[in-house]
Amino acid sequence: MVIDLDRCTGCEACVVACHSENNIGMSTPEEAARGRVNHWIRIDRYYEGQFPDIKVKYRPVLCQHCDEAPCEPVCPVNATYHNPEGLNVQVYNRCVGTFYCANNCPYTVRSFNWFDPKWPEPMQLQHNPDVSIRPGGVMEKCTFCIQRIKRVEDQADAAGRPVADGEVQPACVQSCPAEAMIFGDLNDPDSKVSRLAGDGRATKLMEELGTKPKVVYLEKAR
Amino acid sequence: MSMERRNFFKILSTASAGVVATGCGTDSDKLIPLLVPEQDLIPGVEYWHPSVCTSCPSGCGVVARVMDGERIIERTTAGKTEKLRQRLAAIKKLEGNPLDHVSGGRLCARGQAGVQSLYNPDRIRGPLKRSGVRGEATFQPISWKDAISEASDQLLKVKNEAADRIAIVTGPVASSRSNALRGFAKAIGAPEPLVCSVASHAAERKAAEIALNWQGIPFYDIANARHILSVGADFLGGWVSPVNYARQFGAFRQARMEVRGYLAHAESRLSITASAADQWLPLKPGSEAQFLGAVGRILLDLNLAPKAASLPPNVLAAFKALDLAAFIAATGIEERKLRLAVEQLGKSEGPLVLAGASTVHTNSVDAIVASHYVNMMLGNVGNPGGIQAPAKSPIEPLTNTKFAAALSQARAIVLDEANPLYTAPKAAHVREALTKAGFVLSFATTLDDSAAWADIILPAHHALEGEIAVAPAAAARVSLAIGGTFVQPLYETQPISNTLAELAGGMNVTFQPATVKEIAEPLLPKDLTWETVVREGGFHTDATPAAAPLTKSKPAPKAAAPTNAFALNAAKFEGDGPFLLQPYLSPQLHEGASSNLPWLQECPDPASSAVWSLPVEIDPVTAQKLGIATGDNVKLESASGSITAPAYIHPGAVPGVLSMAIGGGHTHFGRFASGRGANPLEILALATEPATGDLATGATRVRLTRVGPGKDLIQYSSEDKEERPHAHR
Repeated sequence: MVIDLDRCTGCEACVVACHSENNIGMSTPEEAARGRVNHWIRIDRYYEGQFPDIKVKYRPVLCQHCDEAPCEPVCPVNATYHNPEGLNVQVYNRCVGTFYCANNCPYTVRSFNWFDPKWPEPMQLQHNPDVSIRPGGVMEKCTFCIQRIKRVEDQADAAGRPVADGEVQPACVQSCPAEAMIFGDLNDPDSKVSRLAGDGRATKLMEELGTKPKVVYLEKAR
Repeated sequence: MSMERRNFFKILSTASAGVVATGCGTDSDKLIPLLVPEQDLIPGVEYWHPSVCTSCPSGCGVVARVMDGERIIERTTAGKTEKLRQRLAAIKKLEGNPLDHVSGGRLCARGQAGVQSLYNPDRIRGPLKRSGVRGEATFQPISWKDAISEASDQLLKVKNEAADRIAIVTGPVASSRSNALRGFAKAIGAPEPLVCSVASHAAERKAAEIALNWQGIPFYDIANARHILSVGADFLGGWVSPVNYARQFGAFRQARMEVRGYLAHAESRLSITASAADQWLPLKPGSEAQFLGAVGRILLDLNLAPKAASLPPNVLAAFKALDLAAFIAATGIEERKLRLAVEQLGKSEGPLVLAGASTVHTNSVDAIVASHYVNMMLGNVGNPGGIQAPAKSPIEPLTNTKFAAALSQARAIVLDEANPLYTAPKAAHVREALTKAGFVLSFATTLDDSAAWADIILPAHHALEGEIAVAPAAAARVSLAIGGTFVQPLYETQPISNTLAELAGGMNVTFQPATVKEIAEPLLPKDLTWETVVREGGFHTDATPAAAPLTKSKPAPKAAAPTNAFALNAAKFEGDGPFLLQPYLSPQLHEGASSNLPWLQECPDPASSAVWSLPVEIDPVTAQKLGIATGDNVKLESASGSITAPAYIHPGAVPGVLSMAIGGGHTHFGRFASGRGANPLEILALATEPATGDLATGATRVRLTRVGPGKDLIQYSSEDKEERPHAHR
């Protein structure tokens, strides 16, 4: 994934899109006050400088799907692992909630279900049947909307054609009004994400830790 | 037949979000506007249907992903109540309609949360009649027949005594619904419906009429501009058409080879537009007119106004005669910075000035008029990358915002998609009007602050449950977004068109609102059929409408020339406190009609990262002086009353200005919003913008005191500075 910070407005459409797609449990004010709000994607915002010459940095942060993911080797039950497509995935029914993965994630993008999520009737009508509901005691995180990837792959398979560049859109990418988020195949040198990843503005978050993140940020042009 | 239909759906259901968004030629064929009967629902198979978002006046076309769902219903037979599982078509997700030219397949946070308002557990289940004292919100169910009969009797009584004392109050969305209300008012002899909203954009409309003789809100071609100076308009946040302008902003920045658009933004708050800008010029509140006056004058002085000769002589003379030093001083911007910003604008190959009134001041029309004249002297009016004339709206928007005077005289009050008790200040005396009126009728889908005062509630379908057409607030082409009926209503509600027709019938008046088809069909170009429009979720066209729309609208005034009125008055402020209160429309909660949606309540506020709470933004110097820390409770006091809210010490707050998002402080709005937070609109003075009568939301002085430590501020992230600063070139 490539995120162009020169386009990003910090509007948080992606945050709500992610909730809508992935059946993320709702918080209550009481639980939120204890730091128990679950977001798979967040907008970090930082202030730089002093008024009146103050600048704001918005940065959407989600699971970076690291090639050397620090969360993976510490899981005692292999609930989080690298799938053959290079996604860092979470097997919910293996997770026993040790929290080791979240403690080891430098990007703090993992969310824990402290309780069974509740949706007052009839809010469950909105649930996406393609995404399982996670019970209490289970860790969860961004999957790059693996269900949307699979759907497009299946359609392409059925039609006997390869998946087209840009055809797969995780919910956050699909929603982004400024088209700041782009998703594609980094292994395909001709894909849009590969071209953008070679841009002079490209950086990766905390790359110095050796995590080899697969989310590329295009820094704001100055 | 049913087999054929099932196969038809099966073929269509191969549409997916990804495929739709990529925009291939047959996409429109995959959007089906038909109601899916339960027997035709195939578990796990998705259908995409077009509809429209009504959470603000932008009119974004959406597509809804429909699949089978289950809910629990109660059925009573022979005195025994049992719980049953009901299978029905349910909306799983809303995305932008890729064929809609406003949303272009994208959607904001509020738009996507629309599905949560459809399935909100606090929706009204059927007609209600007040059972206790008015305002106590105690109701009992009543049949539709009795409710219509009682409501029409009450309205008829007032109509016969004084029809002009019927006040119909609604919101700013120009839709088939507002059109039906207008028709109903006319049919029963009541005055035109009033708009009670802090997002009516009355100043923008008036200014376009004065300076350019345009009817409607101008459209800004941001994507093709090279250098934008935006003034007072949080166009990426809560102003006019945030999805469309954010789409354009992305293209403005990074879609052109070797051209990156530059945005300078002047506003009295560090909004998300100011945050995204390359340069923020923190204005003193209400100095937008003086700022734009100075911009025009400096452009003239620097000979950077190539089309200055096209200005009306009185306007040109006024720019040349203004006291530049005083104007610059009034803005609070350092002169060097201001001059540099203007010089950069003037020297650009594609300059554009975009002005609006995210916060309305008593001189907002003056400011926006000045911006039009600046665009005129820059030569971008009507050109690519410039300010474009609004297309004629297929549905004439309601524009009368003088609701306070009408309500004070009202004997019957009819509320639809408006919550005046919340969006109007206490000083507007809406509570007194609701107490005094002989009859209060509401069409609310959820019990809100104002509906709680109704005598009878006739709940309308949710916008996603019935057919609807919305004319976008800002469009350069004639356009209409349309939604059909594709999920069954959850409760005993009915389309507002039916309710209005039945009410009129009960008053012995014949009235049948225009259907969506009747509104749209006369406007379609020859090559477009109604079936195509329904399948695609609307239309947009440059073609001249074939016939006049059935909106009962008056023709646009045939003024030979704009009025050219030009004054740059100073803003006026009410009260005697040392601080200015600046309520603002946040991207999440806008004017508070989305506060009952948990997704939006737990979406962190872009400025403070607050969830489930909205703080007052206080600048660090003031906070230090008053001993206030982030999280403390503070009291804001005006001549109209006081509110208590948590403080957030905002490093980018303009000193002396207390900003607060609208959205908290609902007395009634379901379990997720009632009694949560405070409403900054409540304590505003009843100051108005004189040319429009619109509430001046930024004209109130307040006092600020620390109450004590508080627990109400919940921050998702409390970090304001990066611990490990990351490269930001």
